[in-house]
Amino acid sequence: MITDITLGQFFPGQSVIHRLDPRTKILGAIFYIVIVFLAKNVFSFLLLVAFTLFLVLLSRISPKVVLKGLKPLIIIIVFTAILNLFGKKGETPLISFWIINIYPEGIRYAIMIIIRVVCMLAGTSVILSYTTSPTAITEGIERLLSPLAVLHLPVHDFAMMMTIALRFIPTLIDETDKIMKAQTARGVDFSSGSLIRRAKALIPILIPLLFSAFRHAKDLSIAMECRCYRAGKGMTHMTTHRFGLRDYLSALVMCAFCAAVVLLNKYAPGFSL
Amino acid sequence: MSKLSLENVTYRYSVGTPFCKTALDGVSVSFEENRVIGLIGHTGCGKSTLVQMLNGLLKPTEGRVFLDGKDIWENPKEISAVRYRVGLVFQYPEYQLFEETVRQDIAFGPTNMGLPQEEIDRRVEEAALFVGLEKETFDQSPFELSGGQKRRVAIAGVIAMGPEVLILDEPAAGLDPMGREEILGGVRSFQKEKKSTVIIVSHSMEDMASYADELVVMDHGKVARTGSCRDIFSDRDSLLGYGLDVPQITRFLIELNALGVPVRTDLFTVEDVRKELLRLYPSLAKGGKR
Repeated sequence: MITDITLGQFFPGQSVIHRLDPRTKILGAIFYIVIVFLAKNVFSFLLLVAFTLFLVLLSRISPKVVLKGLKPLIIIIVFTAILNLFGKKGETPLISFWIINIYPEGIRYAIMIIIRVVCMLAGTSVILSYTTSPTAITEGIERLLSPLAVLHLPVHDFAMMMTIALRFIPTLIDETDKIMKAQTARGVDFSSGSLIRRAKALIPILIPLLFSAFRHAKDLSIAMECRCYRAGKGMTHMTTHRFGLRDYLSALVMCAFCAAVVLLNKYAPGFSL
Repeated sequence: MSKLSLENVTYRYSVGTPFCKTALDGVSVSFEENRVIGLIGHTGCGKSTLVQMLNGLLKPTEGRVFLDGKDIWENPKEISAVRYRVGLVFQYPEYQLFEETVRQDIAFGPTNMGLPQEEIDRRVEEAALFVGLEKETFDQSPFELSGGQKRRVAIAGVIAMGPEVLILDEPAAGLDPMGREEILGGVRSFQKEKKSTVIIVSHSMEDMASYADELVVMDHGKVARTGSCRDIFSDRDSLLGYGLDVPQITRFLIELNALGVPVRTDLFTVEDVRKELLRLYPSLAKGGKR
């Protein structure tokens, strides 16, 4: 039923991207988003698309999977594109009837937005979420934020909360699936009827789900106390990543990519979007 | 004609992703009316997937499912009618309770079916009787009850829908011996009174030996064998091959036999074994408590 969600799911592998330090990947993903928004003309956009494809190939994750991950977001992408299509004003309207004016600028802008969003989602998924295990992500965040511990910010607690939250997403999805099936077997119908009826049909799902979330929280906290968890004091990680040649090289590639985009923006201005 | 049957059913999870997995592989099996059928197999052999096929919660990737000779997916819009006729109680059903009172929770299924109020009340009381719930609990919150009591409420909730076929996935898992006996006994008496078909998924060979009329053995997404308890349990070697074994009491007889005691080894319930031992050693009866 709902177990087919792939967005934000980790696909284990041995590619170059998989083996990077999670810190490199987190910073890389943020840097990548910035670059996506720097691109301004046809050439830099072509480079952006090419680089994104290169990343997908490098991660050895099937492009089919990446596209499937974008599917649930189609509505959002289309919606933003349409908003931009009608919102952007130019000199002479291309189509004009009643109060709706579509300018060539609007069309260009809409296409640009679609490319940006698709590249951003595809790129960040292969850099980070598809290729990094949730534990590695939290380890990366914890280590990136660790300087803040000097200011007495509870960095470790924050990272632990994130780990637990991420860890329980699949569990809760499984559980939702089970409860939905059990209630379907008792005659609940989620897919037909008025909006109010459908909203009411959610009650038999939400209450047991909430109940089991609390049960998990209670069980987990007892289990953690039994194993003498004491909030990070002197705690080490089972596997620690170190920056290696690979990480420095990928940082270099990212910088080169950024520079190329900026240069293309500047020296090929005729095709500016 | 059999009550429920599967014809060449294959089911794959997550088709088109790297996690694709075949849970059922060309299964053909039929379940006859008016009996308790045990579905056994080691963990991950496809039992739970199979039972979800039977009431249309999962749609076969290939193959067909028949209820009273009619393909249940012939008209997908009428699938909810199939779910009323084939009641399914999931593993740990107590986690699906949500109403304010026990009575409301048991009445949830019948209410969804659109039955008149008197009929709902009658069914709730009847179902509670089968699973051994006292009337005092009716106005309590289901969350206040003990684990075993919650389980009973959940099972009663499905029985109250008056299904022609009742399927229970591990109904006795995690209960104490008393609770096991009461729940399985209740299911047995429901079957006898309604002459319905009951399918119980279980890991416990002992429970199966005492409550099932027939067994279906599954292995690696396929039906490995079907037959009476006697047929299945007398062939220990193939059971071991499926990752299962004979009931403990039968193992006890086999060991005893190997030590030279002339006992039969084809008995599967504690009661039968007691009789057999008394036949061999009548003197035990005088000193024994029973």
